Amino acid sequence: MNRPILIVDDEPDMCWVISHIIQSQGLHVITAYSGEDACFKLMHGEFSFVFLDAKLPDMDGLEVARRASTMVQGRPRVVLVSGYHYYDDPVVRHAIAEGIICGFLAKPFTNKELLNMLNND
Amino acid sequence: MIHSLFNHQDKNNFELLYNMLLDTIPSSVLMIDEKLHVISVNRNFLVKSQRSNANTVGLPLSEVFPSVILENTGIEERIRNAFRSGTPVNGQKMTYRAPGVPIRTYYYSILPISPNQLMLLMEDITEQVRLSEEVRRVERHLASVVESASDILLSTDIEGRILTWNSAAEKLSGLNSHEVHGQYFFEFCDTNQKQAVRLIFMRMKHSSESHTTEFHLLTPKNSGSILISWVFSPMKDDYGQTVGTVVVGRDLAERRKLELQLRQSQKLTALGVMAGGIAHEIRNPLAVCCSAAQFLLEDTITAEFHKECSRKIQTNIQKASAIIENLLRFARSSLDTEMAEVNLIAVLKETIELVTNQAKVQKIQILLPMQKTHILVSGVSGLLQQVFMNVFLNAINAMPEGGVLSISVETFEDRVIVRIADTGVGIPVGQLDKIFDPFHTSSPVGQGTGLGLSICYSIIQQHLGSIQAESRYGEGATIIITLPRL
Repeated sequence: MNRPILIVDDEPDMCWVISHIIQSQGLHVITAYSGEDACFKLMHGEFSFVFLDAKLPDMDGLEVARRASTMVQGRPRVVLVSGYHYYDDPVVRHAIAEGIICGFLAKPFTNKELLNMLNND
Repeated sequence: MIHSLFNHQDKNNFELLYNMLLDTIPSSVLMIDEKLHVISVNRNFLVKSQRSNANTVGLPLSEVFPSVILENTGIEERIRNAFRSGTPVNGQKMTYRAPGVPIRTYYYSILPISPNQLMLLMEDITEQVRLSEEVRRVERHLASVVESASDILLSTDIEGRILTWNSAAEKLSGLNSHEVHGQYFFEFCDTNQKQAVRLIFMRMKHSSESHTTEFHLLTPKNSGSILISWVFSPMKDDYGQTVGTVVVGRDLAERRKLELQLRQSQKLTALGVMAGGIAHEIRNPLAVCCSAAQFLLEDTITAEFHKECSRKIQTNIQKASAIIENLLRFARSSLDTEMAEVNLIAVLKETIELVTNQAKVQKIQILLPMQKTHILVSGVSGLLQQVFMNVFLNAINAMPEGGVLSISVETFEDRVIVRIADTGVGIPVGQLDKIFDPFHTSSPVGQGTGLGLSICYSIIQQHLGSIQAESRYGEGATIIITLPRL
C-alpha cells in the first residue's frame, strides 16, 4: 500500500486524530476539509483509502463516496466515519450493499478499530 | 283699571284669545273657588281625564277627581291651606288614572289668584318619568355588567385618578373602591412600572388609540402583586374630548400556567428535532478526546505530543460541554417569565448556535449580516429564543435538500424588525393565513404538533410585537417579527 490515504472531515481536530493514528503505521496521509476539496483531490490523485465524514458543510459524505465509486482506475476503499449515523443505520447498510463504501466507523472510536478498517482487506 | 281700557267687544276678544291660549298649552289648568268647586278647566284637562265640560265645571273637586287621588295626595287640604295662606304650592307629584287609559304621572302646582279663586296647574310628566326610569334601568344594567365582569374594569379622570373600581378589581387587589377612589392609579402598580404607567396616562390625553401592556398590580393587603394584562383606552365625551381613561385588566395567572405547559411541551418537540444535529456535534469532540487519550497511553510519545494531546482533550471537552450548556439553557429557560432588558442580537446569536449543527447536517448555510451588536428590547430571553428556534427549525425543515437561511435585523423608528428567510419549499397559497393557527401543520402525522408557530404568535403578542409570514410557493418563505425597541 504505497498510495496515500485521504482523510475528509470539516473538523480539523478529527483530521488531526485520524492522521496521527494512520501515520503511526508509517503511512502517508492527505486531508480535505470539504466535499468539494475531497472530490478535487480524488480526481487528481490516487488513494488507497478514504476516511470520510458523513456530514460535510457543502455536501453529504455519501455523495463524495458515490463519486469515488464511479472512478474507473485506482478506485479507493471508502470508510464512512460518522457521529450522525449508527452501524445498523439503514442508510449505512444500503451504502455498503451498493458497494459505495466498504465500512462504517462510528464516532467516537478506538484507535484500534480504525486500524482494523485498514487491515480488513 | 284695565277693564275700562276695553270696550265690550274688546273684552270678548280678549277672553277668546285667553281661552284659546289656555286650550293650546300642553298642561291641565283648573280654576277652583274657595268651596273647592271647579270654576273652569282647559281642554287639556278634559282630554286627559276623559270628561266633558258639562260634567266638570260647577262640580266639587271631589266629584271631578277620583277619591283615591284625593286621599293619597291630600290635594284638597293643600288647596284649603293655599286659600288660607295665599302662598302657592309648587311641584307636587300625583299619579292619576282616568277610566280606560293607562296610568299617568303629573306634577301639580296650586297658585292662588284671589281670595276666592286659585289655579291648579297639572303637567303630565308620564313620558319624562318613563324616560328617566329607562335611563336608570340602562344605568343599572351597565353597572351590573361592569360589576359582574371577571376582568378588572376601572375608570380614571384625565390625570389618572381613579373614579370607579369594579368588584373584580376589589377582589383581585384586595382594595375596596372607597380606598382607591381619587388616588392615582399608578400608586397601585409595580414600583418599577409607575413611571411607565404615568406616561401611558399622559399619552391617553392626546391619543384616540388603546394601549396594551402587562405589569403587576400590587395587592397591598398581602404585600404581594399579581400579573395583569392591561388595555388602556381614552374615554371621550360627546364632543370627542378626552375626559378620562378606561382601564381593563385581566388576571394572567391561569393563562400563564397553561401557556407555560404548552410552551414547555412544544420545546421538547423542538429538542427532538434538534437531537440529530446535536448527536453529530457532540460525538466529534468525544471522538477526538477518545483517540487523544489513547495516544497518551502509548509509551513512545514525545513530551511535545503529550502536551498537544492534553490540549486537544481539554478544548474538545469544553466544546461538547458548551453544546450541552446551550441545550440546557434552551430546555430550562421558559421557567423564567419576568420581562427584562434583553439584547436581541445576543438572543439571536445564541439560538443560531443551537441550530448550527442541524443546519450543517442538512447542508444549510446560515447568513447573519449583522451591523449592530446591541439592540435592546423588553422581553423574556428564553421565550424569544423559543420563537427564533421554532422559526429556524421550520426554515431548516423546509430545506431538506439544503439551502440558505438568512437572518436580517433592522431598526425602524421605535421598532426592531427581524426577517428570517429560507430558500425552501415555501408556503402554499391559502395556507399563509393559517400557519399561526394552533394545530395547523404541514408535517406528516406524528412529526409535528402544529403548535410551534401558534406558540410563537402568543409569545410575540406577549412582547407587544407582531409576527407575519410572506411566501411564494416554491420560492421559500420569510417570517417577519417586529418588536418594540427599548
